[in-house]
Amino acid sequence: MARLLIALFAVAAALSAQVSFEDLKNPDPEDWLTYGRTYDSQRHTPLSEITPENVKDLQAAWIYPIPSTPRQQAVPIVVDGVMYVSAMNEVHAIDARTGRNIWTWRRTPAVNRGPERGVCVLGDRVYVSTPDAHLVALDARTGSEIWASKIAETKDGYYSPSATFAIDGKIIAGVAAGDYGLNGWLDAYDAETGERLWRWYTIPRPGEPNHDSWEGDSWKTGGGGTWLTGSYDPELNLLYWGIGNPAPDFDGDDREGDNLYTESVVALDADTGELKWYFQFTPHDVHDWDSVEIPILVDAEYKGKMRKLLTHADRNGFYYVLDRETGEFLHGTPFIDKLNWASGLTEKGRPIRVPGVEPTPQGNFVCPSTSGATNWMSPAYNPATGLFYLAVKEGCGVSYKAKQEFRPGGFGYMGTGYVESPEEPWQMWVRALDLTTGERKWEYKQITSKQYGAGVVSTATKLLFAADDQGFLTALHAETGEPLWHFNTGMRISASPISYGVKGKQYVAVTAGVNIVSFRLPD
Amino acid sequence: MRLLLCAWLGCAVSLCAADSKNPLGNGPQVVEAGRTVYNQTCTVCHGVDGDAGDRAPALGAARRYAHNTEEDIFNVVLNGIPGTQMPSMGLSEEDAWRITAWIRSLRAVAADFPPDGDVAAGEKVFWGKGECGRCHRINGRGGLLGPDLSNLGGGMRLSAIRESLTVPKPHVPLGFRPATVVTKDGRTIRGVLKNEHNFSIQMLGDDDRLHLLTSDEIASIERGETSLMPTDYDKRLSETEFRDLVAFLSRLTKRAAASE
Repeated sequence: MARLLIALFAVAAALSAQVSFEDLKNPDPEDWLTYGRTYDSQRHTPLSEITPENVKDLQAAWIYPIPSTPRQQAVPIVVDGVMYVSAMNEVHAIDARTGRNIWTWRRTPAVNRGPERGVCVLGDRVYVSTPDAHLVALDARTGSEIWASKIAETKDGYYSPSATFAIDGKIIAGVAAGDYGLNGWLDAYDAETGERLWRWYTIPRPGEPNHDSWEGDSWKTGGGGTWLTGSYDPELNLLYWGIGNPAPDFDGDDREGDNLYTESVVALDADTGELKWYFQFTPHDVHDWDSVEIPILVDAEYKGKMRKLLTHADRNGFYYVLDRETGEFLHGTPFIDKLNWASGLTEKGRPIRVPGVEPTPQGNFVCPSTSGATNWMSPAYNPATGLFYLAVKEGCGVSYKAKQEFRPGGFGYMGTGYVESPEEPWQMWVRALDLTTGERKWEYKQITSKQYGAGVVSTATKLLFAADDQGFLTALHAETGEPLWHFNTGMRISASPISYGVKGKQYVAVTAGVNIVSFRLPD
Repeated sequence: MRLLLCAWLGCAVSLCAADSKNPLGNGPQVVEAGRTVYNQTCTVCHGVDGDAGDRAPALGAARRYAHNTEEDIFNVVLNGIPGTQMPSMGLSEEDAWRITAWIRSLRAVAADFPPDGDVAAGEKVFWGKGECGRCHRINGRGGLLGPDLSNLGGGMRLSAIRESLTVPKPHVPLGFRPATVVTKDGRTIRGVLKNEHNFSIQMLGDDDRLHLLTSDEIASIERGETSLMPTDYDKRLSETEFRDLVAFLSRLTKRAAASE
């Protein structure tokens, strides 16, 4: 009898292990298992119920409010009909078909630093990083807390807004805030125990390669946050993560040098955290152009040869194509019309700077503005069209600088700031770029929309769902950009939509303001 | 009573109400004296009259991080900012207060430091020669296409009022962009766009009526690139008329009603 009970428990334990590493590598078409759905962050669903022909009938299925967190940025995860989404100091498990709450976990004491960008799942656990800089493991069925590991000291000013990222037996977590002059890192934790397995520092310390890219002691307050999330190639076992800005953001006078590895994408060995290669988009940045934007991984033909590509649209206005095995720069081109800080890229991909656009005490005109040509809103890639889709902000800014002393404990260390240019105000677009050339294939102007935050999601039926700060979720034809359907959610959208399925029915969901809104076709 | 006292003293209501600690007060003479000391002391870094300087922020700029309290400004003027290039200039406390009053006047709304002029004459210009009332409304009287100006002096800086009368804006703000729309049923509507998106517009016509149209009801839409607001008032009015109009506009405020 005892043996039978043990056997039953063993079977139950096996059944409850919902998400394996194999699932993460090859997710069920109905699931949305990582921030970008798949490790390559293509944000592309194979589901095909919603088509260009029937999308006009799409209707709201449910609305789930999270009143504690206005302007949500989190991307939900969906596993076998359950949606997991983080909010400030909270995680909610929701019936993804009905919008009914299953459980809510709340971090206490709550620390109001954010935003939250999302959870990850592995086994029967949900992992979230918190405003008080902890990584917390929750039971996916009940929300009960299993362990909490400290990522950083909150008294130093750190917090952890990044979406956690699950790989084989490990959970990856990042930190903020470079804007406080706090140096960043990326951590890997044992998914079972919460023990930290490795840490990689974004600012090289004395004796490490590229430490000399920082003048004097400026590296000590160099910033370089890891505040969004990354992508992963299981074959190469490389983790790709975008690194944030150097500090002070707008005043580079006392940090001469390239300031590595800020404004770079880095490839780390997922087992050890060892740096394999890096590529810096904006050396010695003085405009706060974080390079955290999600890298999309695609295996595609490039100049007649199949390559493992990493594509990245940077906040600095350039679209890049890299070889993700080596970090070799293959191609780069602007994806915005208004770009005045560089005249182009060298053969190695280094920007050719235009002098005279650096921030000044009286303010200097720069395009794009600090808010960026794009930002945390996720791009998408559709293998059927071969197009890279993204939300784009055209327009310029006026950037100021001033001397500022670093203050430990989490205080702004930006060396002043920026405003929107009155002459070149901001305007949001959705653009489709050829994957390997960056050539613009179509664009869709989001009239009156000027604030960034809302990304896109692609479907196998050649739809692209985009959103904007006016609260609209819009379905565009992925080949032409023609609008086919829209819904006014009534609240500013600052997150990227997803598409998932439950029992054969396809849904499209997005967090809009304080609400998660999910759509489906009528039965 | 406090309001009456403030009015009698001729100082700004908001500054009195805010319990200013400036022992010299914030009257026009103190402000002007502060401007003189400022331009003798601070311009090397901050620029003449608080405009753009080469080494330090333009203190009059409308920047979101430039809103400090009176005491903060006074302390910085007197003592500098340790650890930065902002030094203590060895000023007396009185001169530091004068400069503080001047800096605050740069950032203050027009009603805090209203300029001289014949206010009654300015009101006549507004409704008469200036034709401002055709588009603008004050306390329920006037047109609808432009912004309501009933609290203009209480919400806008004096320099911004002058600029809006004389300097064209590079872009028309949302809500006041002129447009001509032809509908599929043959109507032509002229007016301003109160709001728009890809799928609908919300328009106020020159017939003073709202016109709400979805994109499938619209045959064509022509958006004007320039504002309906003339910006040559310094030319179409005499110097005296312009001064009086600015004096009138600067005193438009809802504060008294709010205080009651």
